[in-house]
Amino acid sequence: MDVKSGLSREVFLNRAGAAGLNTDDPHMEALYAHLQRVLPSLQAIWELDVTDAEPVTPLISGKEGAR
Amino acid sequence: MNSIEICYFSVGQLGRLIRRKKLSPVEVVEAHLQRIESLEPTLNSFLTLLSDEAMRAARKAEREIRAGQYRGPLHGIPFALKDLYYVKGIRNTSGTKIFDTFVPSYDSTVAARFKQAGAILLGKLNMHPLAYGPTGENMDYGPMHNPWNPELITGGSSGGSGSAVAAGQCPLAMGSDTGGSIRIPGALCGIVGFKPTYGRLSRYGVVPLAWSQDHAGPMARTVEDCALTMNALAGYDPKDATSLNVSLPNFVSGLNRGVEGLRIGVIKEFFDGPIDPEVKEVVTTAIGRLRKLGARVSEISWPMVRYAMAIASTIQMVEATACHNQLIRVHGHELDSVVRLRLESGFFIPATDYVQSQRARTVFYNQSLEVFKKVDLLAGPTLPVTAFKIGTTEKRVDNQVMNVIPLLTQYTRPFNLNGFPAITVPCGFSGEGLPVGLQLAGRPFDETSVLRAAHAYEQATEWHRKQPPL
Repeated sequence: MDVKSGLSREVFLNRAGAAGLNTDDPHMEALYAHLQRVLPSLQAIWELDVTDAEPVTPLISGKEGAR
Repeated sequence: MNSIEICYFSVGQLGRLIRRKKLSPVEVVEAHLQRIESLEPTLNSFLTLLSDEAMRAARKAEREIRAGQYRGPLHGIPFALKDLYYVKGIRNTSGTKIFDTFVPSYDSTVAARFKQAGAILLGKLNMHPLAYGPTGENMDYGPMHNPWNPELITGGSSGGSGSAVAAGQCPLAMGSDTGGSIRIPGALCGIVGFKPTYGRLSRYGVVPLAWSQDHAGPMARTVEDCALTMNALAGYDPKDATSLNVSLPNFVSGLNRGVEGLRIGVIKEFFDGPIDPEVKEVVTTAIGRLRKLGARVSEISWPMVRYAMAIASTIQMVEATACHNQLIRVHGHELDSVVRLRLESGFFIPATDYVQSQRARTVFYNQSLEVFKKVDLLAGPTLPVTAFKIGTTEKRVDNQVMNVIPLLTQYTRPFNLNGFPAITVPCGFSGEGLPVGLQLAGRPFDETSVLRAAHAYEQATEWHRKQPPL
């Protein structure tokens, strides 16, 4: 298990296969390394308090923005 | 007037000369085609050049104008499109050889509205493959080169749009902006790049990257030119599900109102992070200029902006992967290696992360509106750096080494996440003679205030008149 990304090589290969990627491709090493760098930086989203916030698009169709 | 002078006239100037029949669309198009031919070996701005078609259209425009059938300020004006705007019968590569021979069978709404306005398409512009990258590098068709120093990046993904406009190859181009792709090359190439409110310009027939953050927008050498373009292109489009049926201002008529009394908030957080000291100084001076022009400038804190990168990136990664799902599986090995990695990464974002990001986006949007209760506009640097060498993957800024993707997108992404209008306007140069951009952002659908302040600044300075040493 990689400490930073929480994505073990085994899980990585399973997900890659499920996504239809060729897990025998040597490129998988580069992808795994890339994910180790990128995924930890995204975890900041879990520091935010989203209580009562629903996942909506940023604008409501047909209405002007607040002024 | 000689052909170089013609190539550095703004859209507004060209339009006025054409309307008064002091200049013919044929002369204008010829001058630009010559300029393109002479500079393409250096800049590589274009992927498809439409010389014959443009000349035919110019002759038609000339005939119409002589016959008193003047259509408006874009009639007879040459322009170019980033190579992801569909034009019926013209190949559309999206910046990758995978689509080298793909020819769409219909017009994007933007292309159709340009045709209606009588503008003349010169060609399709080079871009970062699939619009997925902020540097303007392209291994399939070759990198775009910055007119201020061809060894340096243009920025991306609308890099060809940035270089072509800055170099006088065309007075106006369209870019697209998912994380800053209009404003980044705008700032690095020393031109104006305008991203309107999400939903304001139709994206029908524009190859998507991340649907909920993709914006279409103009790139030109003056703010007035962007406003003129908005007048021609904006308006509800039922073919685009995200197009909004909202009242339509005249984007030009308020340009000269100045900034007297406008409340401008300077985003504290944009100056806290790693930023080139020269850029910081140039942008600070530019904001000082806005104050002298009568704006009420104050510092403002926007704490959640620090999270914009993580929220926006999570959403973008998932949407881009979903959008290009089939392409990745079938053609992944043919893609630019970094674009391929970024596209494949979206497969590894859990659905719970995506939903958490969408919820965080709601919070971010609401906080953005709160910020705009205190001010009318936000101001800051478009980028923390000036253009750097093609091929650079990491850069040291303020003693911190950063990957170039987050480095270039950190100040632009927040306005893709909330969808608010934002512009970059040239505000000075570094000691090495490289352009610096000032970013101004406004409330949703208040493009006129953004354009008005940018125009006031531009008209009080000379930066937009500088020409690259080509």
